[in-house]
Amino acid sequence: MWFEKGFDLAPSIWERGNHEVSLVRMYLIRVGCLVSAIALASSSLPHLIWPDPTGRGMITAILGGLTVMVAIGIRYPLRMVPIFLFEFVWKTIWLVRFGLPQWAAGAGSPLLRDDLVNIGMFPIIVGLIIPWGYVWRHYVVAPSERWH
Amino acid sequence: MASIAQPAPPSVADHRNDDVSLFRLYVLRATYLLLVIGLGAMILPDLVSHVPTARGVIPSLLGALWLLAFIGLKHPLKMLPLLMFEFAWKSIWLLLYGLPQWSSGQLPPTFADDIFAIGMGVILMPLVIPWGYVWCQYVKAPADRWHRRIRPSTDVV
Repeated sequence: MWFEKGFDLAPSIWERGNHEVSLVRMYLIRVGCLVSAIALASSSLPHLIWPDPTGRGMITAILGGLTVMVAIGIRYPLRMVPIFLFEFVWKTIWLVRFGLPQWAAGAGSPLLRDDLVNIGMFPIIVGLIIPWGYVWRHYVVAPSERWH
Repeated sequence: MASIAQPAPPSVADHRNDDVSLFRLYVLRATYLLLVIGLGAMILPDLVSHVPTARGVIPSLLGALWLLAFIGLKHPLKMLPLLMFEFAWKSIWLLLYGLPQWSSGQLPPTFADDIFAIGMGVILMPLVIPWGYVWCQYVKAPADRWHRRIRPSTDVV
C-alpha cells in the first residue's frame, strides 16, 4: 500500500495533498519559530540573567516562557499552533486597544514608537505564518474532545 | 463460556484522546474555566477602560490568554501549549523575580498581587497538566515532517 511505503501524496512542496499543511508552510512556521526564539531570547535573557532587583519582571518572564515555547515549535510546528495564536491575538489586542488609538491621538506611552514596531508589525507577520486552514479544521469545526 | 464482545480498536485520534482519563479532561476544562472567569475579572476592566497613555502590554498578553482559554474548554488537550506556557513563564517569574525579591525584602508595589496570582499558577499548573501526555506528545513523539517523503500520518495532530 502506498501509505506503508511512506509515499508522499503532496503533488508539490506548495500543496498539502494528504498532509495537514504544505511543506513550505511547515518550514515557514519553523523559520518563524527560530527567528522568534532568537529575538525573544536576545531581548529577555539579559533581564533573566541579571534581573532588576526591584523590577516587576512580568514582561521579561512572559517573553522567557514564550522563548521556550517557540523553541518547541521548531520540532512540532503544528502542535504548538496555540502559541502562535496567542502571539497573534495579544499583539492584535494591543494594536487595536492601545497602539493605534495612541498613534492616532498623537499621545501615548513613552515606549509607543518602539512598541509600534516591535509589537504592532507582528499581527500581519504572524497572521501570514499561521496555517489558518489547519486552525479552522482542528480548532473550530473539529468535534470537541470527549465529554462522556 | 460467555463470549465477550471486543470493542473496536480506537482510531489514532481516539487513542490520543484516551491517553488521558476523562477525569483529567475535566480537570483541564476546570482550569480553562478558572482562567476564563478569574483572568477575565482581573483583566477585562483594564482592557475596556484604561489611561489613554497606558503601555498596555500586560493587559494585552493576559487578554489573549483569556480569549484562548475559551478554546481550551472545547479542546483541552490541543490547547495544552497554553497551560505549558503559563507554567513556564510563571515559574521563571517566581524563581528569578518573586522569590529573590521576597527574600531580600525589596518589593515593587505590584508584588503582593503578582506573588498571589503567579504563585497560584506555579502550584496549580503542575497538578493539572498531564505530564505523561506532554512527555509523549511534545518530547518523545517524532518531529512534524521535515521532508517530502514521509508517511502521511506523521503530521496529523
